[in-house]
Amino acid sequence: MDFFKSGLKTVLGAPEPGHQPTGAETVERLVDRVNNSTLLEDRRDACRALKAMSRTYRVEVGALCLDTLKQVLELDRADNETINYALDTINNIMSPTQFEEEEDNPRVPMNIGEQFTEMFIKDHNNIQLILDLLDEYDFRVRLSAVQLLTSLLTNRPKDIQEIILVKPMGVSKMMDLLGDTREVIRNETLLLLIKLTKGNANIQKIVAFENAFDRLFEIVSSEGYSDGGIIVEDCLLLMLNLLKNNSSNINFFKEGSYIQKMLPMFNTPPEGAEEEGWSPQKVSNVHCMLLIVRTLVSPSNSAQIISNCQKIMKKVGLLDALCNILMSSGVPADILTETINTVGECVRGDVANQEFLGNVMAPSNPPRACIVLLLMSMVNEKQPFSLRCAVLYCFECYLYHNETSQASLVQTLLPSSTEMSTLTSGQLLCGGLFSSDVLSNWFSSVALMHALIENPIQKEQLLRVLLATNIGSSPVSLLHQCTLLLQQTTKLKAKVGLLMLLCQWTSHCAAAVSAFLRAPGGVAWLVAQTCANEHDDNEFLLQGLSAFLLAICIHFNDDSVEQYSKDSLRQLLTKRIGMEMFTSKVSEVSKHELYNKASKHPQLRAKIAADVLIDYEFCRLFKVLESVLIQSLTTTHENGTGEPAAGRTSPESGNLEQYKSLIRQQDARLQELMSQVEGLLQQNQSLQGALNDSIASNSHLKDENTLLKAQVSASKTLPGPPAPSLTSQEDPRVKEYEGKIQGLLAEVTSLKEQLRVSQEGQKTAAEELEKVKKDQDDLLELLADQDMKLNEYKMRLTSLGQPVEDEPSEPPSETITPPVSLFPSAPTAPLVNMLPPDTGAPPINMAPPVNMFPSSNMPQHVTRAPQDQLNELV
Amino acid sequence: MAYAYLFKYIIIGDTGVGKSCLLLQFTDKRFQPVHDLTIGVEFGARMITIDGKQIKLQIWDTAGQEAFRSITRSYYRGAAGALLVYDITRRDTFNHLTTWLEDARQHSNSNMVIMLIGNKSDLESRREVKKEEGEAFAREHGLVFMETSAKTAANVEEAFINTAKEIYEKIQEGVFDINNEANGIKIGPQHSTAGGASGAGGAGAGGLKRRGAAVCNEHWYETYSMPDL
Repeated sequence: MDFFKSGLKTVLGAPEPGHQPTGAETVERLVDRVNNSTLLEDRRDACRALKAMSRTYRVEVGALCLDTLKQVLELDRADNETINYALDTINNIMSPTQFEEEEDNPRVPMNIGEQFTEMFIKDHNNIQLILDLLDEYDFRVRLSAVQLLTSLLTNRPKDIQEIILVKPMGVSKMMDLLGDTREVIRNETLLLLIKLTKGNANIQKIVAFENAFDRLFEIVSSEGYSDGGIIVEDCLLLMLNLLKNNSSNINFFKEGSYIQKMLPMFNTPPEGAEEEGWSPQKVSNVHCMLLIVRTLVSPSNSAQIISNCQKIMKKVGLLDALCNILMSSGVPADILTETINTVGECVRGDVANQEFLGNVMAPSNPPRACIVLLLMSMVNEKQPFSLRCAVLYCFECYLYHNETSQASLVQTLLPSSTEMSTLTSGQLLCGGLFSSDVLSNWFSSVALMHALIENPIQKEQLLRVLLATNIGSSPVSLLHQCTLLLQQTTKLKAKVGLLMLLCQWTSHCAAAVSAFLRAPGGVAWLVAQTCANEHDDNEFLLQGLSAFLLAICIHFNDDSVEQYSKDSLRQLLTKRIGMEMFTSKVSEVSKHELYNKASKHPQLRAKIAADVLIDYEFCRLFKVLESVLIQSLTTTHENGTGEPAAGRTSPESGNLEQYKSLIRQQDARLQELMSQVEGLLQQNQSLQGALNDSIASNSHLKDENTLLKAQVSASKTLPGPPAPSLTSQEDPRVKEYEGKIQGLLAEVTSLKEQLRVSQEGQKTAAEELEKVKKDQDDLLELLADQDMKLNEYKMRLTSLGQPVEDEPSEPPSETITPPVSLFPSAPTAPLVNMLPPDTGAPPINMAPPVNMFPSSNMPQHVTRAPQDQLNELV
Repeated sequence: MAYAYLFKYIIIGDTGVGKSCLLLQFTDKRFQPVHDLTIGVEFGARMITIDGKQIKLQIWDTAGQEAFRSITRSYYRGAAGALLVYDITRRDTFNHLTTWLEDARQHSNSNMVIMLIGNKSDLESRREVKKEEGEAFAREHGLVFMETSAKTAANVEEAFINTAKEIYEKIQEGVFDINNEANGIKIGPQHSTAGGASGAGGAGAGGLKRRGAAVCNEHWYETYSMPDL
């Protein structure tokens, strides 16, 4: 205080003796000076004084000089020092925190900074004024402007966000400051951006657009990733802001390959370095990084984004790195817890990733599956509560939408796998189910319940599970044991856990319903619980759950347990409780505070063990079934319990009943048809026998027939008379036809004969033709010879001097003239003309064969008559 | 994953002209007939190849409504390319082009490539703006012009790719300062050292260094992309 007073003295001069000026008076004088002084130095001094007073006299300074300070910002931009004082003064006025100086001043309201902020931002230009000052390179000015904006954002985040959003380049200017080489400004800007981006998707997108991720990763890497200081944490917090519930930015993050860039963050230190332990800052940094991973694959994102991110995380080795953290030693518990949650969300619903997690082996001795180790922690009382919750969530994620992992869990409980000496997840859960630790009971029930979700096969498989209880007594089924435990335990959590397990198990599974109904005391206990009349939230919940399970037992009842058939249970309820009471009890479940808490998010978000009671998936089951069950119960009740199919008001249960009756009808029809088939089969058999008999007799008769035929033919070839007489006796016309046929046959034979004869004739004619041809050839040859000889003689005669005349030589060649005339060229080249006879001769030589047909027909006609006669004789 | 360059685009224009549909057609090759109002800005990305180089396009699809105008202004500065879209069946969307262009020129860097797009070319029967008018407007303001149909995908690829080609040419000409990310251009991971070396100048030694770096980086790229497969 002395400091301020001496400061004031220098500015204002010594106070008049006897009069102590009030703070307001002093401020007034200072404002006056800032407004009216012509000397810059005076204005600067006054501003410095105002800054000094602004902490103690915040109200006065704020009320009197806000406008003056704005003016300074506008008019004195040339003087950085003055601007700096003005900014600091405004910042003090707006400060969201209470100053030491104000602590015992009752006149300063708690939210004074917020009130001044509200006044200040009424004029949007004021924000622009400060944004413009961000361009100032001067260190103090820039820093003060950033700090002032941070204060303003702290006080009125929504309003300032909206104002900055509509200022073009507003966000961009702040982003530019991230690149400031002066680390103080960069770090303050980070804080500013964290405040600026909180809960405003549009600003988040612009910041991401301005390469925020690149810059942040640059800073993170230059600071040494998880080993870096608080700046790394600030960067990560800003990233977290940018990604939270912002699918556009998540998409950008994924497309920009930033998931890969997170990897160095999770590199586990080499074995030796672990002894040093984790610094608190490193814990915070890794924790933030894990939160970023979880933001990308959070169940509240769209399925496509989750699936894409999960696949990338597996591909780039992020999931692997996370599992390494799980398996390495020396990891602080809260990091381990968060890593378990993160691994869970990385595998949730992605079969490949779930399989990967299922195959992770811990470097323990003996080597155990990671999943088994996790479950061991879950059912271990000594482990931290949050860690156990995380394991449950991770295990739920491992089972989520994965029939294979559900089946393999149930498989470990089935008799076939009992020879395995190693601890299995199923055994751990069963152990947890019946342990004395109530949380283990609850965790195990819920984990088992998740193996049954939407999986009717495993519901039936789990029915086969038998437990060896006391030595000597026969093994008891798991369901039976659960029912027993439900009646015996006094602990609420265990009861609720078991009831949820039983509800999930029996829903949509008639076999499980009847198994439960057969378990001794089960129904009676449920009815007693439902009828109970205690007034307490948890008691109401218990009553509601019991009623819900009873309703499931009625709705999914296939009437296979005589004592507790659908109708008898319904009557029991009507008599003991009354339908109205019953339905109101059922609806109690969803009124429980923890039900509402649990139904919001798949992860159990309990801080203390008392908050653990209801599971998310059970809430889903309840939501789906509640109305169906109540409708099916009440409508049947109104119509009397007799005919379930009559007059339905609700379409759903009506449909259900309709289908049921349809199935029943079809069942009856099936039975009927089966018996018919039986009868028909018998009939078929007897007919087959009869057929065989007749076939045998038939072949017998055939043999007889052939025998007789043979006899007949034999008698025909021998004397003959007996057979013709037989035929003539039968029908005179037959004989007539036979005669005709014989006649026709005879004709055919005669025609054949004729054909043969004519063919023969043709053959002989052809032969003759050949002969004639040959003769002709011979003659031609002869002729040629003669010709040659003639020529020779002629030549000889000429050589002997005897004149040769054609006339005298004619007489000897007279006989050969016809051939010469036939072949005009023959005289000159008779040898060459040997060929033409083949082509030229036929017209003449073919004549005889043509004539041969009529000539050969002649004898046929002659021979025909005797043949006819012969035929007629036959 | 690896790319030579990364270009940032924005798509601007009146509401309902089909900006989001153009983006959807380009990134997902599908058409969504129902108008789903864009709130603020949405993001999409795709890889293309120009001149044998892989180029990653990051596209911000802005809301056309007046209410979001001030928000979308923040995106001009960091973009290397803009698709300015109007609807050929609505003359008013064409008339507003001047305002959009002024806005863009005022807030963007001067080298931003602007492609003018007349969308809905499949609705020829309802056409109100002639193709020639669009061409004339583009000529007058120094824009590239194209008519597209987000529904039939006609010219959609071309619009995005031609814009990228234009930017690429500007880079080759040295117009863009590729080391300033505020221009909406980023050099891919395997090119960053090469880019630095090329900035050093065309000296023989520089050229050698650059080649050496390229070879080394190719190897790195190969080993890097292995787990991706």
